[in-house]
Amino acid sequence: MSAIIENIDKIFNVSLIYATFRSATPIIFAALCAALTQQANILNIGTEGIMLVGAFTAVAFSYMTGSWVLGVLAAMIAGAFIASIMAVGHIKFNADICAIGMGINMLAIAITKFLLKVIFNTNGTFSDPGIKAIPKVHLAFMDDIPVLDQLFNNWSITEWLAIVLIIALQFLFYKTVWGLRLRAVGQFAMAAQTAGIKVTQVKYQAMMISGLVGGLAGAHLSLGYSTQFVENMTNNRGFMGVAAMYFGAANPLLTALGCLLFGFADSIGARLQAYGVPSQFVLMMPYIVTIMVLSITLFVKYRNNRRKESAIVNQSISSKA
Amino acid sequence: MSSSTRIEALKRIFFTMLLTFAIGAVLILMIGENPIDAYIALFKGAFSGKFGFGNTIAAFTPLLLTSIAFAVAAQAGAFNVGVEGEVFLGGITAAYIGINFTFLPKPLLLLACFAGAMIVAGAWAFIPAALKAYYGVSEVCTTILMNTVALYITSYLVSGPMSAGTANAQSLPVTVNLPKFMRPSNANVGVFIAIAIVILVGVMLYKTKYGFKIRTVGTNQQFANCIGINSKRVFINSMILSGMLGGIAGTIEVLGVHGYFLNNFATGLGTDGMLAALIARSNAVLTPFIAFFLSILKAGAMGMQQSTGVPKALVDTITAVFIIVATMETLFLFKGRIFKNKIDSNKLGKIDKTEEEKSV
Repeated sequence: MSAIIENIDKIFNVSLIYATFRSATPIIFAALCAALTQQANILNIGTEGIMLVGAFTAVAFSYMTGSWVLGVLAAMIAGAFIASIMAVGHIKFNADICAIGMGINMLAIAITKFLLKVIFNTNGTFSDPGIKAIPKVHLAFMDDIPVLDQLFNNWSITEWLAIVLIIALQFLFYKTVWGLRLRAVGQFAMAAQTAGIKVTQVKYQAMMISGLVGGLAGAHLSLGYSTQFVENMTNNRGFMGVAAMYFGAANPLLTALGCLLFGFADSIGARLQAYGVPSQFVLMMPYIVTIMVLSITLFVKYRNNRRKESAIVNQSISSKA
Repeated sequence: MSSSTRIEALKRIFFTMLLTFAIGAVLILMIGENPIDAYIALFKGAFSGKFGFGNTIAAFTPLLLTSIAFAVAAQAGAFNVGVEGEVFLGGITAAYIGINFTFLPKPLLLLACFAGAMIVAGAWAFIPAALKAYYGVSEVCTTILMNTVALYITSYLVSGPMSAGTANAQSLPVTVNLPKFMRPSNANVGVFIAIAIVILVGVMLYKTKYGFKIRTVGTNQQFANCIGINSKRVFINSMILSGMLGGIAGTIEVLGVHGYFLNNFATGLGTDGMLAALIARSNAVLTPFIAFFLSILKAGAMGMQQSTGVPKALVDTITAVFIIVATMETLFLFKGRIFKNKIDSNKLGKIDKTEEEKSV
C-alpha cells in the first residue's frame, strides 16, 4: 500500500490520459456497435462474437495480402456477415436475441479456434511479422511540444477513426432522416409502422451497419491495439461495450464517456500491478467498475422514472430494460 | 406440457440436429477429411470401453446440473449466463470446507461442503437477480461480467491464500471425496446426486404450486402480478435456486473428479449447460437428454482429433451452429403452423413481412 502512495505521481501522470483512451478504443467501437442496434431496440449481445470474428479475419487477411486496409475491410465484411446471421435469425425466424447472440459468441470462439488450427496450424496465439499492423499517425510538428506530444502524437489510424465514428453516429442518429426513423422504430415500432416506415428493413439496416462497426472493432483490436490474434482475445470487451451502451443510453457521446471509465480502470490497474497489487485484482477491476457503473446508472434512471410518473402508475418499467 | 407440443419439440430438435451435422460435414469436407469417418470416430471415442463411456458420464454430470440451473432461471424469465461463475465459487467453497473443517465427521463434512457451496453460489446469483428485479439492470450483462470476477477471485485464492504451493495453481487435496467408478475414467457417484436433483427440480417446476408460480412469472410477469404472485421475489428465488444448482455442480467437480480445487477447472461448463438448455428451450424434461448428447460430443471430440485429422474445435463449432439454428423458433414449423403463428403473433416484424409479401 505504501508503495502505491510513494509512487502516486508515477501512476497518475499525463500519459495516463492516453493510456486510458488507448485501452478504451476497442470498447468504444464495441459500444457503438451495440448502440446502433439498441436504437432499433435490439440488444446486440452478439457484439463480442462479431468483434472476435472481425479480429481473426483482419489478422488473416492482413497476413495473406500484406495490406492492413484489406484486412480491415475484410473484417468489416465478416462482421456484417455474422450480424446478418443474427438479423435473419432474430427478425425473420423469431429467435430470442439473447439466445442467438450467445450462440453467435460461442460460434465465434469455436470457429476462430478451428480456423486458427486449420489455416495457421497453431493453438492459442498467432503472431507473425507478416501481419501488417494499422499504421500510426505521426505528427512531426508535435514532437517538440511536451504535453501535446504525449497526448496526441502517434495515435493509430483507427483511434482517430473512433473519434470520427462517434461524431458521425451522433450526427446520423439525431440529425438525419434515417436516424429519426431508426429511433422511431426503436421507441415504438407500431407507431413507426403506421407512419409508413418499413420497420423490418430499418432493423436489418441497423444490424448490418452494426456488424460493419463490430468488425472494425475487431480489426482495431487485432491490428491496431495489438498485432496478433489470440484465442478469445476480445476477453469480454464486447460485453463491456454493451454495458457502456446502457450507461450512455445508446447515445454515442455518452456511451464513449462510459467506455473511457472502463479504459481508466484498466490502465490504472495495469500500473498498480507494478506495485505489488495481486494481478487477479487488477484484472478484475474493469469488470467490477462496469457492473457498478451499470447498476448505478440504472438505479438513477429508475429513481428519475419513479419521480416522473404521474398518479397513474406504470408497472411495466422494469420490463423495458 | 401436452404430448403434442413435446412431439413438436422432438421433431424440431431432430431437424436441427440433422442440419447441424450437415453443416459440420461441409466444414470437415472443406479441410479435406471424410465426415463419416470423423463422426464414427467421435461416437467411438464417447462410447468405447470403460474409459470412453466413463468420461462421457463424467462430462455429463456437471452439464446436467448447469443446464438445469440455466433452465430454472429461464423458466422465470431470467437469462442466467452466470452459472459458470457459480460453479467456480461453489467449487472453491466446497474445497475450503473440505480442507479446513476436518473436525466434522465425514458424512457431515460432505453435507457441509454441499451446503456451503450452495449458500455462496446462491448469494452470488442473488446480486444480478436483485439488480434486474428492482432496477432493470440486464442480467445477461451483469452475469457475464460477474463470471470473470468469480474466475479471478478463485484464481487469486488458489494461487495465494489457499495455494498448495505447487507449480500449477491448485488447492490442497480435500479430506472427503465422492467415490469414483469405472476407473480410470473420472466418473463418480456425483452423477447419481445430479440425476436425483434434476428429477426433484423437474417435479418442483411442473407439479408444485411454486413451480407454477415460477413458470407464470416467466411467461407473463404482469399477469403474475395481477393474480397475486410477488413476481420480483419469485424471479429472485429462481435465480438463487439456479445459483445453488451451479454450486452443487462445482462441489461435485471438486470432490468427485479432481479431489482439490484446480484453477480454471470449470471453464466452459456453464456455457455448455446453457447451450443444452437453450436447445431444449429450457424444458426441464428435454434438457437432460440434450445435455447427455452434448457430453457425448465433448467426450468424443478428443478421440476424433486423435484418430482423424479433424481438430477438436470442430465440435464446439458444431454445437454453436446447433444452438443458433435451434433458437430460430419458426425455422422448422410446417406450413399450417406458420400461418397460424402469423395471425397469433402481434409482433410487428411479422405483420410487416406479410405486408411485403402481399405487395410482391
